Amino acid sequence: MTYDTVVIGAGVAGLTAALRLAEAGERVLVVANGVGSTHLAPATIDVLGFGPGRVESPAQALPAFTEANPDHPYARLSPDLVAASVEWLRARLPAIGYQGGLDENFLLPTAIGAVKPSALVPETMVAGDLRAGGRLVFVGLGLKDFYPAYLADNLAQAPLDGRVVSARSLEASPPVAGEADRSSVGFARLFEEPSFRDALVRELAGKLERDERVGFPAVLGLRRAGEVWRELEAGLGRPVFEVATLPPSLSGIRLYEAMSAALREAGGRIHVGQPVVGADTRAGRVEAVITQPTARATTYRARSFVLATGGFASGGLQVDSHGRMSEAVFDLPLAGPASLDGPRFLPDYFDEHPLNRVGVAVDDGLRPIGRDDRPVYENLHASGATLAGALPWREASGNGLSLATGYAAAAAILERAS
Amino acid sequence: MIGGGSTGAGVARDAAMRGLRTVLVERRDLADGTTGRFHGLLHSGGRYAVKDPEAAKECIVENLILRRTASDCIEDTGGLFVCTPWDDPAFGDEFVKGCRATGVPVEEIAVAEALRREPRLNPEISRAFTVPDAAVDPWKLVWGCARSAQEHGAEILLYHRVLALEHDGQKVTGALVRNEMTGEDLRIHADVVVNAAGAWAGQIAELAGCRVNVLPGKGIMIAMNHRLVNTVINRCKMPADGDIIVPIRTVCVIGTTDTRVADPDELEVTQAEIGEMLDEGEKLVPGFRESRALRVWAGARPLFSLEEVADTREVSRSHALLDHRERDGVEGLVTITGGKTTTFRLMAEAAVDAACDQLGVERPSRTAEEALAGSDDGRFYLLGSRLRAREPVPQSDEIICECELITRERLEEAMRRRRTANLDDIRRTLRLGMGPCQGGFCTYRATGILHAVERLDHRAANDSLLAFLQERWKGVHPVLHGDQVRQARLDDWIFQGLLGVQHLPT
Repeated sequence: MTYDTVVIGAGVAGLTAALRLAEAGERVLVVANGVGSTHLAPATIDVLGFGPGRVESPAQALPAFTEANPDHPYARLSPDLVAASVEWLRARLPAIGYQGGLDENFLLPTAIGAVKPSALVPETMVAGDLRAGGRLVFVGLGLKDFYPAYLADNLAQAPLDGRVVSARSLEASPPVAGEADRSSVGFARLFEEPSFRDALVRELAGKLERDERVGFPAVLGLRRAGEVWRELEAGLGRPVFEVATLPPSLSGIRLYEAMSAALREAGGRIHVGQPVVGADTRAGRVEAVITQPTARATTYRARSFVLATGGFASGGLQVDSHGRMSEAVFDLPLAGPASLDGPRFLPDYFDEHPLNRVGVAVDDGLRPIGRDDRPVYENLHASGATLAGALPWREASGNGLSLATGYAAAAAILERAS
Repeated sequence: MIGGGSTGAGVARDAAMRGLRTVLVERRDLADGTTGRFHGLLHSGGRYAVKDPEAAKECIVENLILRRTASDCIEDTGGLFVCTPWDDPAFGDEFVKGCRATGVPVEEIAVAEALRREPRLNPEISRAFTVPDAAVDPWKLVWGCARSAQEHGAEILLYHRVLALEHDGQKVTGALVRNEMTGEDLRIHADVVVNAAGAWAGQIAELAGCRVNVLPGKGIMIAMNHRLVNTVINRCKMPADGDIIVPIRTVCVIGTTDTRVADPDELEVTQAEIGEMLDEGEKLVPGFRESRALRVWAGARPLFSLEEVADTREVSRSHALLDHRERDGVEGLVTITGGKTTTFRLMAEAAVDAACDQLGVERPSRTAEEALAGSDDGRFYLLGSRLRAREPVPQSDEIICECELITRERLEEAMRRRRTANLDDIRRTLRLGMGPCQGGFCTYRATGILHAVERLDHRAANDSLLAFLQERWKGVHPVLHGDQVRQARLDDWIFQGLLGVQHLPT
């Protein structure tokens, strides 16, 4: 089977690259071992939240940040391209209703009551923005993955540069049909039932104070989340917002659903459950990748390939018991720490561990490069958490990095094709 | 009674059962020292049958007693001694002879039968012998003894450190202890002080001017994500490093090493030791090296020796009872040290016998007959017991720690009973955070629940969470490789990406 581009990995980076290429008329296939980290992480597009101090405006902070971190993936991208990727996603996924941009970060409460900056925020989370101050009430549903009293206690102490936020919590006991251990997905299904929402609205009606905005764990529906959220706002007569909490991430699943649906509409294909087990490479080019979901192997040929298998969390990068690190599909050279011989981790949990920045180094066309700084394969591009040099969980740059590098990989492929 | 390990808790129980007014002081939590840091092997004695026959005899006698009196703490896994290609098959004959001489039941079985029982064992083994090894849960055992002691009137003072022993001439009359939580000092009068501080017993004896030569022997252990074996597996050779794999609860543990160290509070684990442990594991179970390793830790064996020795492996595993009245002319002090958790009951009995002798009372020990609560029916612990308790009513309660099947009710009950803001205390009570995700999912939940149950303010709750994260990381990072790296990175995303715990006020 022959495609213009085969993308390996179905996370935000892979889906972005694939969707961009399909929109441009390419025949695109996504092959992935499984779904990506969308199902584990919130759908907010964090471009740069900490650099290392809290970032108010990613647009203003990025130039200094990339200058200070020349090996960071953002240093391979032009600021215009990062901005274009954010604008593109905002316009492209009306179902998510993204708001914001690179000019000013939202400040959202985390499930433990810390403050997290984020550039692009789903409409269901926007009213949690702390920049405006105000009165917030967080509602517990008896979900074991959300502790609103603890959240509110911390949030009341959060550093917000003089902006005043008052936070309290309420425990609601909506009817859960005898299921004590209902998961966040189970709650999401309940929220899609009008009778459940009505009962919850009735229970909360007398308990809310004037001007309070109401925060729920991010379980307000799956397929019809926008509708659930709007009806709760209407029923409670006030802004309602979601707070992302432990995996599985409903908002992330919605993002995956929206992106994969858009990709199919644009003519692209997705095959999940197809781990790539090998590649056909010759004369500095990748000719094909081979997947083997069952006994029979399938070979996919293409003109270009995008590696978006993720980092150590997804298995795109690996380390064995002897400390040997590798990239899983093409065994690409790795970059990152000054030395790979020393300890991979340090004793303090919050230390900057040498393994943290390990990954694949790329040129300006996002092609993986070797120690000689030359592309390993002329038609292979890499994006997302596979790339060396970032600390996305610390920088609050996860989805932003995946979006921008996936977008850039597609741009490089299209540029060469033309 | 000084020391809250298995011996100390055993002494407290034995003494209280004999009607002595007893108080136990422990500088940290019960089973926080050596007892909580071993592989969980209830020895049959086979390990010592050739090298240390006295220790072997003690082990098999106590093994059989504990199977009756502490059955709920024991999983009856059975044990195998196997000759791998690296071992001399002729040692098997010596091994059988040693077992016979020391009373350890032993039987040679066909290699095919051993492989049928343990399919992941190295198929190249040449001989296999069964012995009655088992797995024992140290926390359950120690808490069982401590509760029994309390029921018989004993007091248990945790987080109380001994600062000094009180004297009246050449007689020890009690101890000055500090409550490590409040900083308050407390004087405790006692007619007899029993020093069961294990690897720290030398430090305690010194407070009375007595010299007790305890050599802390460091042993490292690695817990693997799965029960790669369901029987205790021993290499059939003279005791050496990394020659035992113990299946215990949801994991299996490989051990151990034996290195003499100066200070039992400073136990460093090196990459070389970890590598050696994984290589030895590979000899017993092919594929061991690249299996998911959860964490590594070290414990300090209390090895008593009359003279200086260079190699702690040469010191007998038998215990030592020192009556300082006869030995040093110091009345009112008894030291019990050396030994193993398997023989803790015997050690406790000996120590209380000596204490009774000094007190001039004659009351026999009943701990060889009287079972711990929960063990009255003689039924062994089963791996599936938590699941079995839950299965009939699957949606009855929330599971807060999925790895160890801890329900919200059990967690809240433990928090109320323990009255602690330290999640590590809760871990030792319920195994919170000890499974494959090493606290990735349960730490936030448990802190949220602790915040509510103990009415903690945000700072205290945050301190609890961060301390638990650091405590888990301590054992995870030295052995982090393979698929466990995926888990660790997901945990990073949860704590630092999703929750942002590094930005919390503390």
